[in-house]
Amino acid sequence: MRHYYIGVEHLFIALLDIRGGLTRSILEEQGLTPDYVSDAIRRKIGKGSQRRLWAGTPSTPRANVILDIANDLALEDGRTEVNERDLLTAIIEEGDSMPVRTLKALGVDTAHMHRMARTRAINRSTQQPYIAVDFAPGMNQTATLTDEHLLILRRMFNGHARIRVERQLMGGFTQALVLVVTPINADGREDAAVVVKIDDTDHILDEAQRYETHVKGILPPLTARLEERPVVPEISNLAGLHYTLVSKPGVQPQDLRAAAAEMGADRVGYWLRQQLYAQFGRTWWQQRRPFRFQVWTEYDWLLPPVLTLQHIPEGEAGAADHVLRVPVSRARLHQIEHGDTVILENFTVQRINPERGSIQLATGRGNEATRRAYQVDVKNIDLNATLHYRGEVIEQIAGRVWQTRQEILMNAAAILEPPFDLNSGEIHIDSPQPRTLPNPLLIYDELLYYHVNGSTSKIHGDLHLGNILVGPNDTPFLIDFEHTRDGHTLFDWASLEISLLNELIVPAVGSSWEDACTIVEYLAALNAQSPLPRIDPEITLACAPLIAVRDIVQESLANAGYWDEYYIALALCALRALCWETVPIGGRRLMLLVAALAINELLSGPDTQAGSEDKTTPDDSTELPPPS
Amino acid sequence: MGEELSITIMSGVDDGSLLRCSAAQGDGQKIAGYWVISIGRQDNNDICLNNDTFVSRHHARIHVKDDQLLLEDRDSTNGTYIEITPRDDVQVIEKAPIKPGQLFRVGRTWLRIEPFE
Repeated sequence: MRHYYIGVEHLFIALLDIRGGLTRSILEEQGLTPDYVSDAIRRKIGKGSQRRLWAGTPSTPRANVILDIANDLALEDGRTEVNERDLLTAIIEEGDSMPVRTLKALGVDTAHMHRMARTRAINRSTQQPYIAVDFAPGMNQTATLTDEHLLILRRMFNGHARIRVERQLMGGFTQALVLVVTPINADGREDAAVVVKIDDTDHILDEAQRYETHVKGILPPLTARLEERPVVPEISNLAGLHYTLVSKPGVQPQDLRAAAAEMGADRVGYWLRQQLYAQFGRTWWQQRRPFRFQVWTEYDWLLPPVLTLQHIPEGEAGAADHVLRVPVSRARLHQIEHGDTVILENFTVQRINPERGSIQLATGRGNEATRRAYQVDVKNIDLNATLHYRGEVIEQIAGRVWQTRQEILMNAAAILEPPFDLNSGEIHIDSPQPRTLPNPLLIYDELLYYHVNGSTSKIHGDLHLGNILVGPNDTPFLIDFEHTRDGHTLFDWASLEISLLNELIVPAVGSSWEDACTIVEYLAALNAQSPLPRIDPEITLACAPLIAVRDIVQESLANAGYWDEYYIALALCALRALCWETVPIGGRRLMLLVAALAINELLSGPDTQAGSEDKTTPDDSTELPPPS
Repeated sequence: MGEELSITIMSGVDDGSLLRCSAAQGDGQKIAGYWVISIGRQDNNDICLNNDTFVSRHHARIHVKDDQLLLEDRDSTNGTYIEITPRDDVQVIEKAPIKPGQLFRVGRTWLRIEPFE
């Protein structure tokens, strides 16, 4: 309510929030729902102003009077702690507060309510907020759930007697914990299963907020929804939220990764097109407003930080070799080398990592993706000495270059032990067919400054097999809206293709360099839209979902037949996955080749020679226009 | 009767506090035969509500003559309202009569004139 004090209205609304509590049940007997009552009180009192006019959260004089009465009632009863009954009785006895006046206005018999408050037995289950957590057979509980997780789960399902954790959904390659949970009521009745996500507080709050702004209004009728506020305990860095699903009792949703094993590749492809794209398409990917953008504005954030700096405390910096300020000058960025001292100006804090003593900075301007572009990590910061917060624009901070983006990418590729020279401009593959591809590690930067004709739609922003759920009757559900935004339409499909390659194709083929090269043959055929090679019928079958994705992409191209915008998205998504240590080595090998192949298609495509306005064009200016 | 008035704050951070005004102590001023109490956010008002940003600097006045009370809105930004029934508020345009015990709202703050003793 934006009130920075504790008044009777807040106490009363809190009483209304106790599920199965005295206040709720007395009012419900009089025909009033708790929401209706709390809404009437809110309307009468109004919302406070954004500005705080005093420090702390004082209680109002009237609230203090009521708390005193409640305290006396508890003492008379021989208790030292005030319970719900005392507080409710005290509020009614005081009798002059806005909530009580509102109750009277709603026709509540407060004298009767007072009698009930004094005499009615309190439902035992509300006095014991402990919620038992069971595990479905086969769940390895100790490995997954910490005490913090349990705390959040218990708070989330307050009002239920117990919950059963059915299974863990393997999310993306992040640390978020995603569970399917069945809440069970005191009388043993089971509610429909929900999907719970537990992650860092920042991520959870972002996701809830994005759901409100981007997702809520554009979901198909049957899908996963966020219906309750996130659970954010003050004593933990973690928070949780849950998606309710329209599902049959007993039938639990599963993520597409698990479902794929049962469905078979053929049906996954069909399902992606006929269910997922058909259900969500109209309000999501089919919006397709024309959008010409420079690649970095949408995709720079996928790549590793442009710089990792070791913090130099204020006053010790001396003369810096470089000053990098927002908007970032590409030319200046390229001059920076390992060991240089750099002063950053006007970068925005994206993330603070207290355990590692580092902060992530980025441009902080422009649209969702641009805001995260030009990420710079600053490590060895004494976070106790200087207070930083997310969204803060730091006027000036200095550091010594510890690692550049180029070095991170090179290291990530080097540990894959490639059979070719990473410092050469070209990659040669011998079998199954000789190919020469451009080295993505030396050319990706140029790609970032291409101008692309594409379209913008509502996109999920993190589409992979773990975030797509299959419900009963094959209903598609999407979850995890932390990165949902308006952005390049094809990004979702490029990241889904990367996910399909890593999760379905690589496991089916193998993780050696030869295996990766074999997969490249299939991808080259897909790119050329020619029949798939007949190396192994099983691989051909496993490619069915990829064909479905390519069909959707074809439909989504801004200029029919010009695949450049997709190849760029695919190459950069592949380079991102190359740096993920959680992706098995075979997948990362393939990622390097996928990026190489996509860039090859881009460079050899028909539309790069012309510098026409309608085409994807390399950037010829060295200075960047400031981000809009 | 002496020129005295008690007003209870009914909402906001000061909910429950009782404010007393008395002509004998220099509160209010005489205007055209009425004793006038001013309400507003600035501290030169007789009743100063500086914890509610929805209250104008000079928001409202109460005019008192014998047992007759008038509530005046002084062109405030967010208006002055009188509660007619518990579910029905009416905005005060210029002046409106008000009875002791009735609630009225300036900005976001509900107030009540206590009955005369």
